[in-house]
Formats: sequence, C-alpha cells, structure tokens
Amino acid sequence: MNTSGRLFSTFLFSPIGIVYLLFLLAPIGFFLSMSLFRYDAFELYVPALTTENFERVLTDGYYQEIIFRTLKIAFLTSLFSLLLGYPLAYFLARSRTQWRGILMFLVIAPLMSGIIVRTYGWIVLLGSDGAVNKTLISIGLIDQPVQILNTETAVLLALVHILMPYMVFPLFSSLASQDPDVERAAGTLGAGRIRTFLEVTLPLSRTGILMGSALVFTLSAGSVVTPALLGGKDVQMLGQQIYDLVLTTLNWPLASAVAFVLVLCQFSIIALYFRGGRHGPA
Amino acid sequence: MTTQQNSSGSSFHAARRSRITRQIVMGVTVTAIYAFLLTPILIIILSSFNTTSANTFPADGLSLQWYREFLESPSFLAAFQFSAWLGVVAAVGATVIGFLTAYGIIRYVGSYREVAQSIAMLPIMVPHILISISLLILLTVLPIPELAGLIIGHIIICLPFTVAGILASLDGVDPQLERAAWTLGASRLRILWEVVIPLVAPGLFSSLIFAFIISFGDVYIALFLSGPGMTTLPIEIFSYMQWESTPVIAAITTVQIIMIFGLGLIIERLVGLRQIMRI
Amino acid sequence: MTQEPVLEIRDVVKQYGDVRALGPVGISVREGEFLTLLGPSGCGKTTTLHIIAGLTNPTEGSVSMKGRDITALEPPQRDMGLVFQNYALFPHKTVFDNVAFGLRMRRVPKPEIKERVERVLEVVGLPGIGSRYPSELSGGQRQRVAVARAVVIEPSILLLDEPLSNLDAVLRKRMRLDLRNIQQRLGITTIFVTHDQDEAFEMSDRVILMNKGGIEQSGPPEEMYDRPESRFAAEFIGEANLVAGEVVEVGQGELKVKVAEAIFTAPAGKMTVAQGDRVTVMVRPERVEVSKTPISGGNTLQGKVSSRVFSGDQVSLTMRVTEDLELLCSKPSTALYRGFDIGDPVWISADDCWVLPRVDTRKGGAA
Ligand SMILES: Nc1ncnc2c1ncn2[C@@H]1O[C@H](COP(=O)(O)OP(=O)(O)OP(=O)(O)O)[C@@H](O)[C@H]1O
Ligand SMILES: [Mg+2]
Repeated sequence: MNTSGRLFSTFLFSPIGIVYLLFLLAPIGFFLSMSLFRYDAFELYVPALTTENFERVLTDGYYQEIIFRTLKIAFLTSLFSLLLGYPLAYFLARSRTQWRGILMFLVIAPLMSGIIVRTYGWIVLLGSDGAVNKTLISIGLIDQPVQILNTETAVLLALVHILMPYMVFPLFSSLASQDPDVERAAGTLGAGRIRTFLEVTLPLSRTGILMGSALVFTLSAGSVVTPALLGGKDVQMLGQQIYDLVLTTLNWPLASAVAFVLVLCQFSIIALYFRGGRHGPA
Repeated sequence: MTTQQNSSGSSFHAARRSRITRQIVMGVTVTAIYAFLLTPILIIILSSFNTTSANTFPADGLSLQWYREFLESPSFLAAFQFSAWLGVVAAVGATVIGFLTAYGIIRYVGSYREVAQSIAMLPIMVPHILISISLLILLTVLPIPELAGLIIGHIIICLPFTVAGILASLDGVDPQLERAAWTLGASRLRILWEVVIPLVAPGLFSSLIFAFIISFGDVYIALFLSGPGMTTLPIEIFSYMQWESTPVIAAITTVQIIMIFGLGLIIERLVGLRQIMRI
Repeated sequence: MTQEPVLEIRDVVKQYGDVRALGPVGISVREGEFLTLLGPSGCGKTTTLHIIAGLTNPTEGSVSMKGRDITALEPPQRDMGLVFQNYALFPHKTVFDNVAFGLRMRRVPKPEIKERVERVLEVVGLPGIGSRYPSELSGGQRQRVAVARAVVIEPSILLLDEPLSNLDAVLRKRMRLDLRNIQQRLGITTIFVTHDQDEAFEMSDRVILMNKGGIEQSGPPEEMYDRPESRFAAEFIGEANLVAGEVVEVGQGELKVKVAEAIFTAPAGKMTVAQGDRVTVMVRPERVEVSKTPISGGNTLQGKVSSRVFSGDQVSLTMRVTEDLELLCSKPSTALYRGFDIGDPVWISADDCWVLPRVDTRKGGAA
C-alpha cells in the first residue's frame, strides 16, 4: 500500500484504536496491576508492591467459597445454555418455516430488553406470591410457597435465560454456514439421524459451541445485578464482591485482586475449552 | 427430509411416521425453549396492569395505575430521558466508529481480517463490570468528565455489535464500485460518502438502533459511572428494586419492552435480524 | 513517422506473495490507437489494466504517460476512463448521476455537466434515459452507460475490461461495431481487454497476445494471424495445422522443410535456423487446397479423407497423410467441396505455410 492508502487506513482505524487502547486496555491493565498495591484507608492505594491482596483472596475461606460458587454457577449456566440453545439454533438454522424471521426476532428480543428487565421478570415469577408458587399450589403439588428467590437455583435460572441468546448466535452461525449437503451425504452413506448428528453436525459446529460456551461463561462469571437481586445475601458471586469493594469498602487493591482472580479463572476456562476442542478441523 | 427411493409401501409409511415423530419432538422442544425465553417478559407485561402493589400473579384486577405512577415520578422520567439521550449519543458514536472500523477491516487489512475482527470483538470477551470499574479508576486519574466516561463506556460495549453488523452489510458491497468511483476521480473519503455509505445505509441505520438498544439496557457500565443527575433508567430501577418492588417497575419495563420490540422490528425490516446473529 | 507514445509501461512486474501474476512486460500505446490485450483467463490482462489505471501498484517497473512518470499516482490523479467487466454502475444513482459522477468530482459547473452528460448519452445511443436506475436497463444498455461514464470525463486513455463478455452472442457482435464507432468518433486512445480472438481482430489496430503473465507477441491482426511466432500464438489465434518438419535447406529468405516425404518451401521469417533443425510447420485450414486429382509440385502431400464435418457455410475435412500426420482443411460449402467423402483419396497442397520453432516433440496434426 502506498502512503495515502496507509494514511487513510490510519484514519479508519485510529478512532477504535484510541478508544480501545486508552479506555479499554490501558485502564484494565492499570486496574489489574493495582492488585499489587497496598491498601491505604486515606489514599485508597499506595503503589508499593505487595502480594497481601492475593494472599487474602486465595486463603480466606470466605473468598474461596465465593470463587467456587462463581465458577460453579458460570459452568452450569454455560452447560444449560448449551443444552437449551443447541436445539434452538439447530431449528433456526435448518427450518424452512415462514415464521423463521419472527422466531429469530424472539430470540434476540429478550437480549435487547436488557438485564434489569429480565431479572425483574424472574422476581415476579419466582417470588412467594409469584406465578410459579401459585401454579404449584393450585395444582396441589405443594401447600406452602417454597423459597425459590434468594437461592442459587433462581440465579442460575435467570442467568441461563439472560445469557442463552449469546449461546444461540455463534451456534447459529456455525450451523447455518454448514453445507446441508454434508448431512445429506452422511444420510445416503447409511448413517442414521442420530449417527449423522453425532458424527457430522456436532463436530462441524464445534467452533460455535466453544465460542458460545466461552462467551456465556465469561458473562455469567462477571454478573453482579442478577445475583444481587435474585440471590440475595446468601448467593454471593465474585462480581458483587468487586462491586462492594470498589463502591462501598473502597478497597481498590483488594477489588483488583478479586477481579484478577475472576479474569484468570475465565481465561483458564476458555483456554481449557479451546485446548480440549482443538483436535480435528476447526 | 428425503425418503429412501426404493422404499416399499410399508417402509415408506414407517419413514413418514418417524419423520412426523421427529417433527413433533422438535416442535415441542423448540416451543418449550421459547416458552422459557418469553414467559418472564409476558409476566412483566401482565403484572404491570395489576391493582395491588405486590408482585403477585395472576393479577387481581386490571388498572393503569402503575403507568400513571411512572409518569408522575420525576426520578423515573428523568432517568428515562437521560437513558434515551445517552443511547442516541452512544449509538451515533458506536456506529460512526464501527463503520470506519468495519470498512477498514473489509478493505485495508487483507488476509488479517479474522484477527482484526477478533480484536474489535474484545469488549464482549471482557466482563463488562471490569470495563466499567477500570474506566471509573481512569476518571480518578485523568481529568475526564464523568459523563464522557459513561458515553465512552457505552460506545465500547456497543462497538462489537456495530462492527459485526456493518461488516455484514459491507460484505454485500461490490468493491468494483469503489474502484470505479476511484478511477472517476473520487478521493477515498469521497468514495465513502458517495458510494459506500448510501449502499449500506440500511445497515448503518439498524446498527444505530441496535446500539441504542444495548446502551439503553446496560446496567454494568452505568453501575459505576453514573453519578448524580446522570442516572440511567436501569440503574434507577436497580436501586429502587433493592428497597422495594412494586408493579411500577413492571409498567416501566413494559414501556421499555414495547419500545425495544418496535425498534427491533424496524431492524428486521431494514436488514433482517439474521445479520445481527452473525457476531 | 514515429510518434511519441501516449502511454508506456516498462518492465512491469506484479507479484502476489511468491506468485508472479504478471511480467516483466513492456507496452507502449500510440495516440488514437485501439490496442487489444488478448489472452486466456488468468494471463494477467486485468492486472495490466489495473496497473495502468493505478488501481494496482506494480511490484517493479514504471508507467508513464506522455513522457511523465505516473507510477506513484493514484487513480484520481491519472486521467483514465475504465470500464469494468461487470460495468460497476452505481446501483443507487440514476443513469444521469452515474455518468455525471466523474464530472462532479472534477468540479465541472452544473449546466455544463448536464450538457455533457446528455451529449455523451446521445453518442452511445441512449438519449433520454438519464432518469432511470441501472437495474431498469438491459445488459447492452448498462454496457453503454458504463462506456458513457468512462468517456464523458474525456480521459486520455479509455480502458475496457472485457466489456462484452456479459452480453449474449448477438448483442456482442453488434456492440463490437458500436464500440469501435464510438471510439473512432471520439478519437480516443483505447486499450481493450478480451479473451475472444474474433473480438480482438475485428476491433483493433494492434493486438498484444498475452500468456502466463507475459507478452507472447504483438502486432496488427493480419500479422498475428499469418505469422505467429510461437506454437501458443498459432493455436490461440484461429485454427492451425501444426506439422513436424526438418529443415533441409536454408535459402535467401526461404526455407526448405521436409514434411513427411514431401519438401515444403516456406518464408524464413524472423527465425534463424540451420540445416537439420527440427521445426513446426503451420498451415491455416482454409489455406489447405485439396483435390481429387493429382497435383504436382512442392508443398504437396497425398492422403485420404478420414472425417468430414458439415457446418452450414463450411465443410471441414480431416485428411490422414501418414500414421501420425493428419491435416484439417476448411472450405466454403460449395458443391465442389461437399463432394468429398470419407475414404476418398486426395492430393493436398499447402503453398501458404509458415515455420515456427519446434517447442515440443508432439507429432503434427490438426490442432
Ligand atoms: N489479489 C490477488 N492475489 C493473488 N493473486 C492474484 C490476485 N489478483 C490476481 N491474481 C492472479 O494473477 C493472475 C492474473 O490475474 P488477472 O485477473 O490479471 O487475469 P485475467 O487475464 O484478467 O483473467 P480473466 O480473463 O479471467 O479475467 C491470475 O493467476 C490470478 O490468480
Ligand atoms: Mg480479467
């Protein structure tokens, strides 16, 4: 490319470059490096190298429990999102129905309506006066409302509901870009439906599965609002800890260490996903 | 769905039966998943017409009192207005930057397209809470007004979506058209304005709407970056819900849902939502 | 009189990674000339054109216009009109706005734009369609609009990249003449790209034959047809009988070549050969004479008709001379030539023949 071409591509990329470098990567780098600073009640942080924040996060039983719970919920969220999202994505990618446009819209619409809206929906559904309890009572399964709100189940349900569309997108693209003739070819070679699915469709959609799982895992591990509203005091996750440390306790170095652990968990899980799935063609 | 060619009558019927069974199983599964996706939203809409103040369901009666309460609450109204304003600003920013980026990716990086695209997708890989806190801390270091921080934060979380959507639209533009304009004497900037932008206008418009929707629904960025006088609607609702929970929330979210469904339908009309699903 | 070339490209090479797409090639174009780049798919025609237009930067070499080096200039600073293979009309602009585009970029005043656009639409035979959109035009009309859009800016050079290849056969023939007429009316220097030999011959003053990124041969159509310099040129342009032979005598501008058992006399051309060299003799099928009665003299062979193809205006006979020598002959479909049948013994004469260097050892025969 010549000079003026280079100049123009600089013009095209510099806005996003500036925004990402200055307002995304640099601040995140700064915040995460704060985990090595010393907490100071007056100055918030003093740039003196210390590992005390990490020691605290990793040895304190309170944090260990929260880390474990966060990983568990994030893992289960991505698992259930996959189990629900796969049939949906498969249906959307293969169906020839005239309603397909609307059906796609109905997957995206909840995503667009924001986290608060959907979390609120679950509060109404799961509360002791909510639809679920009332239905269970009216069909006689229970006679006292059961406690669903403020449990891990509630958080998990809502997270799956909120994050499933993020699973459906990558699955949909990898399924829709598959040549349907490949499945037909397997059929003509004598493979049954299930066999075809297991040996052809599933492996070919691996990229979508990995992308979707990584995305949902990341997003659920970092959630704050949903566990705060649906899990109450008993279902604390890492996100809430960070939130409290930053805004209430004002212990930024510790918040940074917690965030660091969160990011580390996410990246190792993502790395694990992609390593485990690296065999065979992408 | 093909049936075997050489099938005799009975195996033909067997194949047909198994096909029908399969379709029923598929249909029931998909319907159940949709029910799961949509029930919470339907419940909100229904409970917004409740007469009592508890979040009960089914409703005890029909009324519009919660809508009236919303319209009479200055804090909710102000938050709604602020969110709408912020959404427009962030959407314009994210669409402009997203367009330049997408165009660069499609015409100026050659075989590095995948890499460039993944870099542009960075903000959806990072937990939003981290983006937000980091910005907050940046604001304590640099003399940047909080409002600017909030806008930039929203632009960042919208960018992956605008870049992906506009890339999909640009894929449909024949590069020869730009070459033609170039040989006819148009500068690179002029080509964007005269040829590329008109051709992807529907894509740009739907990217604007989509970014607006994302910004309007965001909690995480606003959680740390909204201050007095600049509280977004989700934050207002969030702080309200931590203390009490009345159907006024249902009324507000119903308004929001209707607005978002309307905007979503416009996108569907313009470019088809399929493009958005290609992140 | 030798004129200074309007455009000259020197030692141009285009490399894509390790793959050499073009070059090194040198081309010079005279004022007002209609020059055609002819060659098979992938030989580098579009690349050459785009290098001339400035859309592609050459890896090596230079492009100069009227003596000025323009290699580093971008398309807007070069003064070229390019017509794309798929026309590349702006779908969101009317025909008028499409044609006016280049003038607007040159800041021509509005009334003048209107006048010039209308004039050029008349020249290309499409008056009064300015308000339509490209999607509302037929293929031939779009092609003319594309030409109009390229010539309205009065470029020093008009570049046409296979502009006829998207049209149906009938329209294609008509557009050849129309294009040539427009070109002559405007007197505009033109470089035309095609892989169709008929197109190249009918339209051009000069043809450049390209192959595998290089120039195989160039010259006026007749010369290219009569005196190809390589087997590729002989075979790509028209049909040719290519027959193995051996030089037995080198005379004054003349060669004697032994073909089968006969001795052929042929012009020596530019080739330098010595006695005993193995060469290829080319005879165009329409120049092969056949007779049912013996012919004597040089350049004659004897054989049998082995196949006969009737195609309306023509009769093609294939004649077997020896085990591995067959000759093709195309003749007008008159009673005389229709009278030949398979198996008939024939005498063949090929006075009008041409000698090529022998590139491969393939035995002669109809090509
Ligand atoms: N961007 C590119 N990257 C790599 N190789 C390329 C590129 N563009 C062209 N080539 C190669 O360069 C060679 C010449 O291409 P060019 O388009 O000039 O051929 P052409 O003669 O115009 O063929 P056609 O008649 O099919 O249009 C081809 O082998 C092509 O594969
Ligand atoms: Mg070409």
